[in-house]
Amino acid sequence: MAPERGSCKLAPVGKPVPDEDHLLKQYRSMRTIRRFEEEAARNYAKGHIGGFLHLYIGQEAIAVGAVDALQPQDYIFQTYRDHGIALARGMTPESAMAELFGKDAGCSRGMGGSMHMFDVERNFLGGWAIVGGHLALAAGTAFKAKYNQEDRVTICFFGEGSTNIGGFHEAMSLAGLWKLPIVFVCENNQYAMGTPLERTSALDDLSIKAKGYAMVGDRFEGHDVTLIEERLGEAVDRARRGDGPTFVEILTYRFRGHSMSDPAKYRTRTELEQKKQLDPLQVTHAQLIELGVAESQLDDLDLEIDELIDAAVKFAEEAEPAREEVMLGTVYAPEDDA
Amino acid sequence: MAKIIGLPKLSPTMEEGTLVSWAKKEGDSVDVDDLLAEVETDKATMEFRSFDKGVLLKILVEEGVTLEAEVPVAIIGKAGEDISALIAEVEAGAQAAPAPEETPAPEAASPAAPGPSEAAAPAPAAQPSEPVSSSDRVISSPLVRRLARERSIDLRSVEGTGPHGRIIKRDLDSYTPRPAGSAVAAPGERPAPEVRQASSMRRTIARRLTESKQTIPHYYLTIDTDIEPLSAARRAMNAALEAEGKKVSLNDLIIKAVAVALRRVPEVNASWMDKEIHYHRVVDISVAVAVEDGLMTPVVRDADRKGVVEISEEVRDLASRARDRKLSVDEMTNGTFSISNLGMFGIEEFTAVINPPESAILAVGTIRQEPVVRDGEIVPGTRMRFTMSCDHRVVDGALGARYLAALKSIIEAPLNMLL
Amino acid sequence: MREIRYREALREAMLEEMDRDETVFLMGEEVGHYQGAYKVSEGLLDRFGERRVIDTPIAEAGFAGVGIGAAMVGLRPIIEFMTWNFSFVAFDQIISNAAKIHQMSAGALRVPIVFRGPNGAARQVASQHSHAVAPFYAGVPGLYVCQPSTPRDAKGLLKTAIRSNNPVVFLEGETLYGLKGEVPDEGVEELIPFGVSKVARVGSDCTIVTWGRPYHVAMAAADALAKDGIECEVIDPRTLRPLDLEPVIASVAKTNRCVVVHEHWPYGGPGAEIVDQVQRRAFDHLDAPVERVSGLDVPMPYALNLEEYVLPTEERVIDAVKRVSYAK
Repeated sequence: MAPERGSCKLAPVGKPVPDEDHLLKQYRSMRTIRRFEEEAARNYAKGHIGGFLHLYIGQEAIAVGAVDALQPQDYIFQTYRDHGIALARGMTPESAMAELFGKDAGCSRGMGGSMHMFDVERNFLGGWAIVGGHLALAAGTAFKAKYNQEDRVTICFFGEGSTNIGGFHEAMSLAGLWKLPIVFVCENNQYAMGTPLERTSALDDLSIKAKGYAMVGDRFEGHDVTLIEERLGEAVDRARRGDGPTFVEILTYRFRGHSMSDPAKYRTRTELEQKKQLDPLQVTHAQLIELGVAESQLDDLDLEIDELIDAAVKFAEEAEPAREEVMLGTVYAPEDDA
Repeated sequence: MAKIIGLPKLSPTMEEGTLVSWAKKEGDSVDVDDLLAEVETDKATMEFRSFDKGVLLKILVEEGVTLEAEVPVAIIGKAGEDISALIAEVEAGAQAAPAPEETPAPEAASPAAPGPSEAAAPAPAAQPSEPVSSSDRVISSPLVRRLARERSIDLRSVEGTGPHGRIIKRDLDSYTPRPAGSAVAAPGERPAPEVRQASSMRRTIARRLTESKQTIPHYYLTIDTDIEPLSAARRAMNAALEAEGKKVSLNDLIIKAVAVALRRVPEVNASWMDKEIHYHRVVDISVAVAVEDGLMTPVVRDADRKGVVEISEEVRDLASRARDRKLSVDEMTNGTFSISNLGMFGIEEFTAVINPPESAILAVGTIRQEPVVRDGEIVPGTRMRFTMSCDHRVVDGALGARYLAALKSIIEAPLNMLL
Repeated sequence: MREIRYREALREAMLEEMDRDETVFLMGEEVGHYQGAYKVSEGLLDRFGERRVIDTPIAEAGFAGVGIGAAMVGLRPIIEFMTWNFSFVAFDQIISNAAKIHQMSAGALRVPIVFRGPNGAARQVASQHSHAVAPFYAGVPGLYVCQPSTPRDAKGLLKTAIRSNNPVVFLEGETLYGLKGEVPDEGVEELIPFGVSKVARVGSDCTIVTWGRPYHVAMAAADALAKDGIECEVIDPRTLRPLDLEPVIASVAKTNRCVVVHEHWPYGGPGAEIVDQVQRRAFDHLDAPVERVSGLDVPMPYALNLEEYVLPTEERVIDAVKRVSYAK
């Protein structure tokens, strides 16, 4: 069994040496998420997107690093802030944007919207919108992998706000008790909607909670995709080996409000600007330059991604509206093709 | 102690009511909420229920009498109680009553005169928010309503034994229709009726006449006339017309007489137009003509200004084209008064349904030869009855009577037409 | 046919389905080593082992959620709530997750899961342990709700529930577990489909719609009324979602009156839904308002005399039938 790392010290930035091609691929993925979210915000402001819209801007490295730490058969659960992981896992921007637009071509055919993206083919099992409600589901898919002795890990993301609700506790209890092949990833972006951590949690270091469930705990910063991939990789491997679940706290920061309707007045401009110094895209950009990638190559990449996202918006705009038959036909699953 | 019971106000707008029938007779014991009588108000026939407990000692008003609210109608008290003083009080009141102008001014009666604002306070009598109970609402179960439709039973004639007098299935099952209602024969082994699609004319007649009967408050006035003078005039005219090969009918003369009478009493030549009354400047007489499977009413325009011969020719033309269905819509609409004549079938008198928006229709009976008393002598008479159906919204009884009197004066002295 | 108890019928259903399909497992508090709080799962651990008969800590939200997650990816869990009263701490899992996943994922995921356990008043277990929960679940599209009243229905419906591709709320009754009744002989498989009402007693004078434990109260009342010459037709919908009221409407067309008898509170729920449908669909057949005999509108008291007063009784059913029959 791997040594416990609960309450670890923060790892130094950029310590694992990245591979240039791999990092370039990760930069492309992060950049795609960033541009997607920016255009989603624009189209929300235009009234093309309704309801709640929670953006992942600032947290992109986590989704991208996590996906690279996983294998295709592994299950992924995320909260309602789910566009980033969906895109990182390979959902097309067209499919994701069409879902935001409430179109039949969307990944959930207009039934789910921003908060409920699914890509079952890629084992992305959903965006979930009741805080703490999906952790037990993730434990359930891990239970199934164990029941069937499958080589399959479940990774479940949630915010630090979830760690105070009962659903977190019960899922962690069962996962710890049954040594399920699962990695719980707490994306600690410092604010549970508008309330800072020091006003919602008695603990500053949430990874300590792992001990209460006899899990391995880990804790590190979330702006370096290489670090994230490596450290989550350790946790995923532990689960795959059958050595039980891990609870990981990743310190991150969202650059936008909780949702589009949040003016984020609870934090100062100085704080935001300071955090932006560690913008995962800029960090990765700098690493690529350091590795010898030409600035112009990255500029070209940015332009290419701009076009990709513009095309996704155009696709979503022109797509057919969501359909009543799909709505009526998905209340119950058919019984005849069990 | 015995007390005088006055006629209650049974609707917020009721001023007077007709005591249709007593539900109790003198000597009957009465409990609170017992039905005392049925009273017809401006709204409906209402139940007059007792507010008192005791014995109905005296009924002061006979059935059928119309009287104002609060007028004494009965005395209720203990059995055997002496009520002579109360009866005297009622009689004294009745004598004083027909002098409404003597009602003292309110301020004179009150020593401590109320301030102007108080005096100006509206009377609490009319409370529009209070629901007007309607006794013609029949309470029945949904099943009963369906069965009644199927069995053609008028639920107003069925007594309900369920809660709140609800008519329930059992009541319908035990209901025996009155002999008169042949329509309620139970559909058993009897042959089913032959079903024919109603023609569009029949459907129009059905719709218009139903609407007329349901929306127009009809009432009827009948007058008997000596028709001999008009018959004599017709004979004289036909003698004069013989050379031209022309002839007029008694009906042509009646049309003319009706039209002239309308000029004399023009208020009848009018239409109710929802809050307005339109008084017509022309006299256009609709003449009911029986056609196959129905009835048409071609219009003789300006009948008051046309000669009888002209009327005669026009009626003949219109009637013949009516039977051939060749009339234009214009020729059948916008009459101002109708005549329907069933005299040729021997009908002595009948009532007709008003042809809206007209306000009256005159039903013409047959010529009767019968003894009449003239100057104390029984002599042979030639008589004809006219029954006018009137729209009460436009034509009150006195007005209708005045019109019929005018008509009678013309019919009995045709020269009057020339006046 | 042979006679077995209601709990045995449930156990047979689970045993047969677990034998038949390895993806079926039973999870809940005390289902394994304790042999079931109400002995419904007695013997299953010995037969299937700890892999498939899984004791849980007291964590309804947790193990309900684990079951739903497992169902999303292909297993067929049976989640036992020791009683349905404890389902309220897992309410979010059942309502926000189980009932929503199929549609939210545009049909890509399905949740073949059964939540089962005893429902309603037991005997003197007071307000927190006496909930008749049907109204909370029967109103939710995406769920099926069964409430069998006899051993035969319990077995046949539970087998159907386990094979269903959708989440099923399966409401049993602690006071029904010992009830004996006929079930098909061993080796004779009977699957009772959802959404098919059962006409349990034929009569011409009044239709009684009832399910769960009050079914037996209503049947006794119908026997008593027959002695007075009032023949009741008793119909048990068996599943409250889907709700099959065709036979009820047809029956009311014949009897012209209807009484609905149920344990849950009178405000809303399947009882009110049935009244609504009957008055709309059989309006022209009704000779009297539709009546309901329900649990009284109070939290369940502890005292036995009061508990008996709160639950539907034979006398209340008889009174209601007489009222709608305009009988003295």
